[in-house]
Amino acid sequence: MKRNTLVLGAVLFILATFAWAGWANFEYRKQAAERILAGAAQGELVADSPGGVPQLVSQLKDRPAPGFSLEDLSGKKVALASYKGKAVLVNFWATWCAPCRIETPWLVELRNQYAGQGFEILGVSTDDIDRDDAKKLGEEKQEIAKFVQRMKMDYPILIDGATLEHPYGGLDVLPESFFVDRSGKVVAVQLGLTSKDDIEGNIKKALGK
Amino acid sequence: MNKGTGIRDQGSGKTPERGLWYLTAAVLMLSGCRLMAQAPARSIVKPAEVDYLYPEQVSVPAGQASKVVLHFRVGEGLHINSHAPHEEFLIPTTFSIPESSGVKLEEINYPAGSDLTLPFDPTNKLSVYTGEFALDTRIVAAKGDHLVEAKLRYQACNNSICLPPKTVTVAIDVVGR
Repeated sequence: MKRNTLVLGAVLFILATFAWAGWANFEYRKQAAERILAGAAQGELVADSPGGVPQLVSQLKDRPAPGFSLEDLSGKKVALASYKGKAVLVNFWATWCAPCRIETPWLVELRNQYAGQGFEILGVSTDDIDRDDAKKLGEEKQEIAKFVQRMKMDYPILIDGATLEHPYGGLDVLPESFFVDRSGKVVAVQLGLTSKDDIEGNIKKALGK
Repeated sequence: MNKGTGIRDQGSGKTPERGLWYLTAAVLMLSGCRLMAQAPARSIVKPAEVDYLYPEQVSVPAGQASKVVLHFRVGEGLHINSHAPHEEFLIPTTFSIPESSGVKLEEINYPAGSDLTLPFDPTNKLSVYTGEFALDTRIVAAKGDHLVEAKLRYQACNNSICLPPKTVTVAIDVVGR
């Protein structure tokens, strides 16, 4: 009897140990996978509002537009400060952004329509560029230039816009448009694609109309 | 004296059993404590544009090409470009497995995208994945356990905004048996 109990106890012990080892191994792997995911997934779900306009708010409205100086496609530096006295639309875009492609023809038309009243657009590309690799940088610039030519973007195009992420509130989504009045103040911000009428209304606001 | 002998006799008869039971109980308690210590208090993973659904673990014959279907879900209201977007500037969805992982991606078949037309631009059609989609792969695993950190690269948008392109890690526990 005693011997049977002893054997039963030993068997139970061994089974319990195996069960524990298996469960602990499963948990360990599961948690390791979760840690990897936690380190990697930085995504933020951005849903449409009922009106189709993203519910995003910029802190820059009614504040001075953050100054910057970026290269254009020819390598020449272009500063926002040099447009003081003009109304400026700082439009962040990228070649891979489909909504940007929709609004670009509107921007081209509106720029031509209001240029005579002291209005300019600075199209700031946020496409990745590799400054450490001259060959790659050349190819990336060429790709942007190809897009610019295809879309007939005849206003100044600046590159490396991702460097303005911090002053311009993260640039988490594209397109983003900041309407700057003649004194350098941001009078309107559009996050995402809205309509040509909205853009025109904000251009008028920047022009002081 | 007799009492003492009795106690000693009784003890000598039950001590090994008790020891075993105590040991078993101790092992179970320790395992319980270890599990509690490992259990994540709360998930710190933010909602993603694309979630990997399953499988978390696959077991395949070592050294042989084996079919594994990987399931993903695109966040509600969003779409990502398919592997073959219609426009040249758009970023295709791609999946890869690092060479050093002990698992080789022998073949991958991406699903065809569905056509999507954006408001304001009815003439252009995008090729996209929305909702759930699956990648049909054939992998070859070396013998042993491999916690594979595969990569999914995609670029997500909704009808009016786009999010920057992203490469996320897809964790799959692959057992080559």
